[in-house]
Amino acid sequence: MTISSFEHDVLIVGAGLSGLRVAIELSENLDVAILSKVHPLRSHSVAAQGGINASLGEDDSWESHAFDTVKGSDYLADQDVVEILAKEAPHAVIENERWGTAFSRTADGKIAQRPFGGAAYPRTCYAADRTGHNLLHTTFEQALRRGITFYDEWFVTSLVRSNDKICGLTALDIATGEVHGFTAKAVVLAAGGFGRVYGHSTNALINTGDGCALALRAGAPLKDMEFIQFHPTCLYGSSILMTEGARGEGGYLVNADGERFMDKYAPEQMELAPRDIVARAIRTEVLEGRGFEDEYVHLDLRHLGKEKIMKRLPGIREICIYFAGLDPIEEPIPVQPAQHYSMGGIHTDKHGVSSISGLFAVGENSCMSVHGANRLGGNSLLETLVFGRIVGQKVGEYIASAENPDRACVEQHAFEMREHLQTLLLHEGGDSPASIRETLGQTMDVLVGVYRKEDGLKAALKMIRELKERFKNVSVGRSDDKFNYALIRTLELENMLDLAEVITMGALMRRECRGAHWRLDYPQRDDENFLKHSLFRKIDDYIKTEFIDVHLGRFEVKERSY
Amino acid sequence: MMFRIARSRDGGSITHYDLYKVDTKKGMTILDALFQIQDRMDPSLSFRYSCRGAVCGSCSMLINKEPRLACRTQIADVKSNDMKLKPFAALTETPSGWNSNTEILIEPLPNMPILKDLVVDMTKFYDALKTMKLWSDTKEGDSPRTQSPEERTKIERYVNCILCALCYGSCPVNSENEEYVGPAALAKAWRFHEDTRSSDPERYIKSAMNPEGAPLCNLVMNCVKACPKGVAPGGAIRKLKNI
Repeated sequence: MTISSFEHDVLIVGAGLSGLRVAIELSENLDVAILSKVHPLRSHSVAAQGGINASLGEDDSWESHAFDTVKGSDYLADQDVVEILAKEAPHAVIENERWGTAFSRTADGKIAQRPFGGAAYPRTCYAADRTGHNLLHTTFEQALRRGITFYDEWFVTSLVRSNDKICGLTALDIATGEVHGFTAKAVVLAAGGFGRVYGHSTNALINTGDGCALALRAGAPLKDMEFIQFHPTCLYGSSILMTEGARGEGGYLVNADGERFMDKYAPEQMELAPRDIVARAIRTEVLEGRGFEDEYVHLDLRHLGKEKIMKRLPGIREICIYFAGLDPIEEPIPVQPAQHYSMGGIHTDKHGVSSISGLFAVGENSCMSVHGANRLGGNSLLETLVFGRIVGQKVGEYIASAENPDRACVEQHAFEMREHLQTLLLHEGGDSPASIRETLGQTMDVLVGVYRKEDGLKAALKMIRELKERFKNVSVGRSDDKFNYALIRTLELENMLDLAEVITMGALMRRECRGAHWRLDYPQRDDENFLKHSLFRKIDDYIKTEFIDVHLGRFEVKERSY
Repeated sequence: MMFRIARSRDGGSITHYDLYKVDTKKGMTILDALFQIQDRMDPSLSFRYSCRGAVCGSCSMLINKEPRLACRTQIADVKSNDMKLKPFAALTETPSGWNSNTEILIEPLPNMPILKDLVVDMTKFYDALKTMKLWSDTKEGDSPRTQSPEERTKIERYVNCILCALCYGSCPVNSENEEYVGPAALAKAWRFHEDTRSSDPERYIKSAMNPEGAPLCNLVMNCVKACPKGVAPGGAIRKLKNI
């Protein structure tokens, strides 16, 4: 068998909205290819429900959008990056509308916008409750139109750097089980979040943080990893997302005593307070004995009426019927918080430039610091399209003066990766990946969840490090080379273990409450010591941590209340 | 609950069926069962998955002889499910030894080459998107186009398509004629034709009416019954044929 090698100007890892948008930006002038472990339409962008923010309204403004985002971030967002997000938002939405996305409409034919948590105006554009689906399919169509090269069902196993520059990557062709080297002048990581580090997550099963883990191992620092968004309303049992749009359309949260309890936590914004606040409110209600079965509360849509539910929230109704056996027109929905989004990720500047020359990151696996300590709903789809374009432009500039990559170095890495995977597959008698994965998920759910404290976090860190030890002799089990998903899931688990360690280290060292990070033992925000980004860099076998400054700006740091 | 699962190590055809005993609990889906098998019994079992919430369209397969999404199919419901599909060989030929009272039968989605176990080759299905140019041609501009809610409603059903290929796998024409582009691509062509924003709606009709397109459809309507998203491709194809 001859092992062929592949060469392109730019390789993009991940075919969700971020990756596709970068590719579209670069496709005219460069040879660009996207590698994805699933077919592009199976990417997690497809699952986004509620919408995409843009200040299209006459009495709305980019400044208002920026302010809401900065306040929502508990002032940890870099304000220069937020400014770009808010200013470019209308362009991103209009561009996708012109590409064909079937946005829901107002009576006079404009793009409809709904209220969302933490926003001063109804600024969230939507396509029913299937906004991500519509944007992803449309953007994929435009990628096909431009003839972009796709390597579908390839799992990236490592980044390759030579002389402190990225020169390519190695990847496993899932269909054949072969590992190949890919040479490129630049690599863009757009591989999505790492929600599956948690047992209870709204995320697709594929969201295992591969991009972040690749970057960490290559020596690029991760940032703000302790900031995990827990979505307040996830279907009890399966943790499937019940969009914030359900509350945007007027849905109530009700405890077992029949009270609309949000008046205690956010008297003005009620159910439409930001996600971190609503998630803590639900958890508190349950912890204090006012939950159903000590587990969940109700999301009640019944008063919205059949017509509104059918028109604005058809996907939610369908999920309830098929996954919970109930119709929200007639019954309230049992919901509880679950992991939903990773604010942290690969440390980059506002152009997606990482700490390694030739390595870029965009979307959920990056941390441009646009969401700070808590992301507002409707800003993540927006981030993918706004920064996909900007990062694409930046990569184009970089390529213009980049040297030819070191092909021999890539080949050498591919050779070593084949040996490494062979060794892994030969392990016998160790733990099963499933047992390590389950323990990891439970540990993170219980000890690194909505509420955190020092002893729990220390116990979690100890457990994660023990699991990492056990992983060294993990037994994948006997399988075939072709479509060896047991192997893929084991490599994903390895990625998740690395990230879990960093998340927990970050949660331990941030001795304050800010946004989604809530320490019961340090119940105040502490701007003096922690109005800073946390940074995590892997050096040999240990993680070096430090804090760096936040880019402040026009919005003064204030107490955050709703 | 016992699961009888089609296996094909090297692809091509089903070589045998393996039997697994799955611990079930309330609310468990077929996808949950497949993971239990891969995790605890047989790591070599291959199947596709992603969102587990019926939006990504990865896990299409034949469940008790009906094309379904594994993630959206409750184990408890399998026995009483009945799509009332018009039969063709892949839906009627049952493996010897299958006891439909005690076992759930899982097989790859029909009408596509098997690559391994439950993983099928969807290249032809996806290629239709490119060959038929199923995208919008609009040029860039500074403002969104207007579209009334009524105009949007006309395409809503079609934009809900998740390209899971259950229609393709349920279609008797696809089972006999590998040239046929299948229901999803034709529904998508109709979606662009009906979109008031399309600059050249006729081009979608032209590509849909190619010899390997709508003319091959016999209006059997299995696609309408199998679609998990209410897209009803057959209705779109009927309209295409009537133009």
